[in-house]
Amino acid sequence: MRRTSPILAVLLGAFLGAIALSVSTGPTAVSLRQVVDGLTANGWRGIPSDTGARVVLTLRLPRALLGALVGGALSSSGVAFQALLRNPLADPYILGVSGGAAVGALAALLLLPGDSFLPLPLCAFLGAALAASGVFLMARHRRGVSRERLILMGVVVGAFLNALIMLMVAFSPPGKIPGALYWLMGDLGLGTLPRVGVLLPYVAAGAGTLFLLSRGLDLLLLGDEPAFTSGLPVEKVKTAVYLTASLLAGSVVAVSGLIGFVGLIVPHGARVLVGSGHRRLLPAAFLLGGTFLILADVLSRTASPSGELPVGAVTALSGAPFFLYLLRRNGGKT
Amino acid sequence: MKDDRGVVVRLPSEPRRLVSLAPSLTEIVFLLGQEGKLVGVTRYCNYPPQAGALPRIGGIADPDIERIVAAAPDLVLCTTDGNPKEKVRAIEEMGIPCFAASPQDLSGIYSAIERIGALLGVPDQARSEAGALRARASRASRAVEGQRPKVLFVLSTSPVIVAGKGTFLDELIRRTGAVNDAAAYAGRYPRLSTEDLLKTAPDLIFVAAMAGVEKFSPEVTRWKEIPAFRDGEVVTLDGDLVTRPGPRVVAALEEVSRAVSAWRERHGGDSGRKKGGRGR
Repeated sequence: MRRTSPILAVLLGAFLGAIALSVSTGPTAVSLRQVVDGLTANGWRGIPSDTGARVVLTLRLPRALLGALVGGALSSSGVAFQALLRNPLADPYILGVSGGAAVGALAALLLLPGDSFLPLPLCAFLGAALAASGVFLMARHRRGVSRERLILMGVVVGAFLNALIMLMVAFSPPGKIPGALYWLMGDLGLGTLPRVGVLLPYVAAGAGTLFLLSRGLDLLLLGDEPAFTSGLPVEKVKTAVYLTASLLAGSVVAVSGLIGFVGLIVPHGARVLVGSGHRRLLPAAFLLGGTFLILADVLSRTASPSGELPVGAVTALSGAPFFLYLLRRNGGKT
Repeated sequence: MKDDRGVVVRLPSEPRRLVSLAPSLTEIVFLLGQEGKLVGVTRYCNYPPQAGALPRIGGIADPDIERIVAAAPDLVLCTTDGNPKEKVRAIEEMGIPCFAASPQDLSGIYSAIERIGALLGVPDQARSEAGALRARASRASRAVEGQRPKVLFVLSTSPVIVAGKGTFLDELIRRTGAVNDAAAYAGRYPRLSTEDLLKTAPDLIFVAAMAGVEKFSPEVTRWKEIPAFRDGEVVTLDGDLVTRPGPRVVAALEEVSRAVSAWRERHGGDSGRKKGGRGR
């Protein structure tokens, strides 16, 4: 514990630094003074009237916070799935959460009348929850849930949902296609303060629950038999981990769209830093994931002279080489 | 006759059965009064309305080769901007000549009309139709005078995607003496964030309304620092008019021109207007 505390402190510093960088980066120039003046002018109440202060508080801040929540939640969920499935290739999307969310979101985007953006996150979340619980119920048999069945069911359900997604995109009216595609690629620009406010309790509850399940996750990594003989209620823990990690991923995906790669790579990066004990790994992965996604978003906003890039592409573009480097350095193990 | 791929297309005789692989080309065939020869069009060909009654051979990106061959055309009109190369090659390999017209600007449209007219055996009519369009376009692009509003041409409202340099819409904007606010960005179709909109601060926004396109979300329009939102200067145009490189682009130019003139009348003499949305 003594060894890892400084690392966690550094990660926390980087996390806060990334938020600060994100909030101070953008096409318009805004000074810190403007923001402070804007806030104090109304006695810290309400939205300031100064444009610069409003840009920071209602555009950049929600975006940075959404990045923090989404990156952190996807990474925590990825850690949990990798332990649950004992598979380094597992990520939050492997068992159908992404496909379910996408079908829900596209259904809302295409079937509901034009202006109703609000139900989209709700439909996406419902889709994710339905797909995840469907996979779980189908993978269950008398003696509990086996990893192999979970993966197999997840992949099959995922393929089925992907086919639905392709059909829905193929049949969408041309004006709706960009919106649908950008949602599928992930977009933090959908963040507003109210949405961040709604998301916060979900992420806090999900990440908190996984943290409480840390010991169970450690034991699950050893395999069902050893875990059972150490006195772990294996099936109950598996169910709790599965549902928590799925709902955690589903809730953030509902707001941000399908941001890929974070939930796969960040757990490995965090494991290199603090080892595989989940009591340290989960907080480290949350902080590292948040930092990574915020920085990827800053890059997606500033790197291209032709406007914004989809952040989901940036995460994979910048993450894949780093991931390969990690794999090489550790001789194929992370 | 050389087409826009640089391929020289030779026809053994005057074509009597035509297939069109793009709505803009269908519109050109109708303009030339040759619609009687059309034996196949895409499912997007909806103008003039009679085009909708013609046999469908699939979409722009997914033309159905088998149906095209079954329609037994002696000429297929295609474009390099939407029809996949492989599909066009497959049609040619079936022994059916293909002529590609992909106009990139207004003069390209006149030239496409004239070349297709020549191929179809109505060169004089094509020249006179093209001349009429040229005259309408130059009337619409009157000399630049007075205020030059900063304009964005929006093709998608969520996310906000606009027409940048090198597009038809950029040409329409410049011809009416307005300034394309998106020219500062690289790429033909830059995607702008709300903060980008605040920075560019357009005076006038055109929206190309396509099937299913939403209005701007209130999260964007609440930024009254953006003059176009503050003054309600958002003009919706028929998406088909502005996204098809066909004869009706001239009608789009006329509408843009009218809107810019109307904006000038409303904002005349107010030349020292403050630009909204600038930080600091």
